[in-house]
Amino acid sequence: MRRILLGIGAALSLGFALLPLVWTAMVSLAEHPDFLLRGGLSPTFDNYRDLFTSEDLHFVDYLKNSLLISSLSALLSLTASFLCAYALSRLSPFKALPLLLGVLGISLFPQISSAGFLYRIFSLTGLINTYPALVLPYTAWSLPLGVWLMHAYISSLPRDIDRSALVDGAGRLTILLRIILPLSLPGLASTYVLLFLFCFNEFLFALMFTVDYRTRTVPVGIALFEGLHGQIPWGHITAASLVSVLPVLILVLFLQGYIIRGLTGGAVKG
Amino acid sequence: MDLLLRNLSKTYRSVLRGRVEALRSVNLEIERGEFFVILGPSGCGKSTLLNLVAGLEEPTEGEIHIGGRLVARRGFSLPPKDRNVALVFQSYALYPHMSAFDNIAFPLRISGLKGKEIRKRVAEVSQMLGIEHLLRAKPAELSGGEQQRVAIARALVRRPGLLLLDEPLSNLDAQLRQRMRVELKKLQRQLGLTTLYVTHDQTEAMTLADRLSIMKEGRIVQVGEPIEVYRNPADPFVAGFLGSPPMNVLRRKVRRAEGRVWVDLFGEELRVETDRDYVYVGVRPEDISITGEGRFPVELVERLGDETLVHVRIDSDRVVVKIHGDRDVSEGSRVSLRARRFRVFEV
Repeated sequence: MRRILLGIGAALSLGFALLPLVWTAMVSLAEHPDFLLRGGLSPTFDNYRDLFTSEDLHFVDYLKNSLLISSLSALLSLTASFLCAYALSRLSPFKALPLLLGVLGISLFPQISSAGFLYRIFSLTGLINTYPALVLPYTAWSLPLGVWLMHAYISSLPRDIDRSALVDGAGRLTILLRIILPLSLPGLASTYVLLFLFCFNEFLFALMFTVDYRTRTVPVGIALFEGLHGQIPWGHITAASLVSVLPVLILVLFLQGYIIRGLTGGAVKG
Repeated sequence: MDLLLRNLSKTYRSVLRGRVEALRSVNLEIERGEFFVILGPSGCGKSTLLNLVAGLEEPTEGEIHIGGRLVARRGFSLPPKDRNVALVFQSYALYPHMSAFDNIAFPLRISGLKGKEIRKRVAEVSQMLGIEHLLRAKPAELSGGEQQRVAIARALVRRPGLLLLDEPLSNLDAQLRQRMRVELKKLQRQLGLTTLYVTHDQTEAMTLADRLSIMKEGRIVQVGEPIEVYRNPADPFVAGFLGSPPMNVLRRKVRRAEGRVWVDLFGEELRVETDRDYVYVGVRPEDISITGEGRFPVELVERLGDETLVHVRIDSDRVVVKIHGDRDVSEGSRVSLRARRFRVFEV
C-alpha cells in the first residue's frame, strides 16, 4: 500500500515537472500547433530544420551569442567571486558579515532600477549592440550569487589547512592557487553552472542593450520570432526553446563529475 | 636559549565573549634540544601561545625570540615562513588533494628546492617515520595514525629549528597514543630538536617532557621538571591537574593552642606552619593507607586489577585512596585512614 502511494506521488510530481516540457516537445514536432483539433500528431522535424537553415530566424546567431556572452560573464563573475569569497571566508565573521549582507542588499535592487542608467552609459560609450553591453552588467549582476555560493563553499574548508600552509612557508597567493583552488573545484563547478544559467536566461538587459541578431541572445530572439502573417510561430518557438536547453544540459553533464566529487574528505580528522 | 617569551600577552575581541585575555604576561625560556610541554585545561591559552610562536597571530604585548632573534613584539611580527618553525596541528591539516608524498614535499617545493633533493629528503624523513609505503596514498585513504605520521614528516622535512605540536595525539585511540608517545620522544632525542608541545593530557606531559609548565587562565602557574612539579605542586590547581587520580585537596581549619599550630586530617593532628585561619591540605591518593576499620564510610571501590581506587567520605569531602594490587575493601564498610605524606597550600 505504502509503495503504491509512494509510486503515485512520484508519478504526480514527475508529471507536474515534466508536463510543460512534454507539451513543448509535442508542439515542436507537430506540423500545426493546434494538432489536437486537426486530428492528431503527425511528427515532423520541419521546425528544427528551419531553426538551423532559415536565414530569417537567426537562431544559430542567437545561440552563439548566448553561449559566448553567458560563458564569458559566468567566468568573469566566478573569478571575482572566488577571490572575494576566499577573503571573506578568512576574515573574522564580525567583519565579513556586514560585507556579505551589503552584497546581498545590492542584489535586491530590481534590475529595472539600473537599466535606464546603464542604457545611457552604453549609448554614450557606443557599446549598445556589442558583447560588452551584456557581459559587463551580467558579470556585475550575477556577482552576489557567486560570492554567496563560493563563500559558503570555501568557509567549509578548514582554516587549519591555510594555517598549516602558512607555517610551511607559503604566501597567500600560493595558498589560494595551490591549496584552495584545487579544493574548491566542486564548488566552482556548481557555482559556474548557476551563474551560467543566470546569464543564459536573462531577458531585460538583453532586450534593451541589443538591437539585432549580431548580439541578441536566445531568450530575446525567441520572444521576437515573427510568423509570416503576424501569427505566433509556436512551432519555431517551442523547437528553439528545447534546443536552447541542450547547452545547459551538456554543461551540467560535463561538470557533474566535479560537482559530485567530494574532495575535502580526509583534510581534517573528526 | 632557543625560545624566549618575555611578558607575552594576547587580548582578543570576541563577538560572544567581548574582551578575552587569552595570555597574560607569560615568561618562558626553553633551551636548545629541550622537550618542553605546556599543560593546561582547554581554554587556558596554550594554543594561543603556540600560534603566537608560530607567527599565526600577533602579540598584544611582549616579545618572542627564537634562536636569539626577535621575531615578534607589539606591532611587529615576522611571518611564519621566516621563523624556521614547524607546526603539527591537532587536526593534522593535511592537504586532502595531495598524496602523502606531495604533502611532505610541499614545504620543500615552496622553498624552491629541486626535484632530486626533494625526493631525497622526503625519502629520508618517511623512512624515519616508517611511512615509505604510504607515500602515494591520499590523506583520506590513510588511518588516523598514518595521517599523523605524514603530518609529523611534513613538519620535520624542513629541518626546523623549533618544532611545535598542538595536541597531536588527542585524535588517536589509547593504544596508538601510547605508541606514538614513545616514538615521538625517541625521534626528538635522535634529532635533538627543540620542541614545544601543548596538551591537556597529564600522562603525555609527565612522560614526554624534559620540563613542563602548567597554564591556567592565560598565566603560567608553575614551571619545572615533571617529577618535581608532581611532588611539589605550587598550588591546589596544579595539584589537582597532575596525577591520575589527582591529588586530594581538602580545606581545613587551622587550630592554635599552647604555641602549637595544627590541622586535623583523617582524625590525626598534623603540625603545620601558617598564620592563616584556613589552609588546603593536599594528599596524593597513593600516599594514603587504609589502616583498618574506622569511622569513614567507603562509598565506591574501583578495581583496576593492578590497583584499587577506594573513594572514602570524610565529612563533606570525598577522598580517593589508591592501593597497590587488588585489596578486599567492600563498599559500605567503614575504614580509618592515614596520610604518609601531605602538602599544605596557603591560599
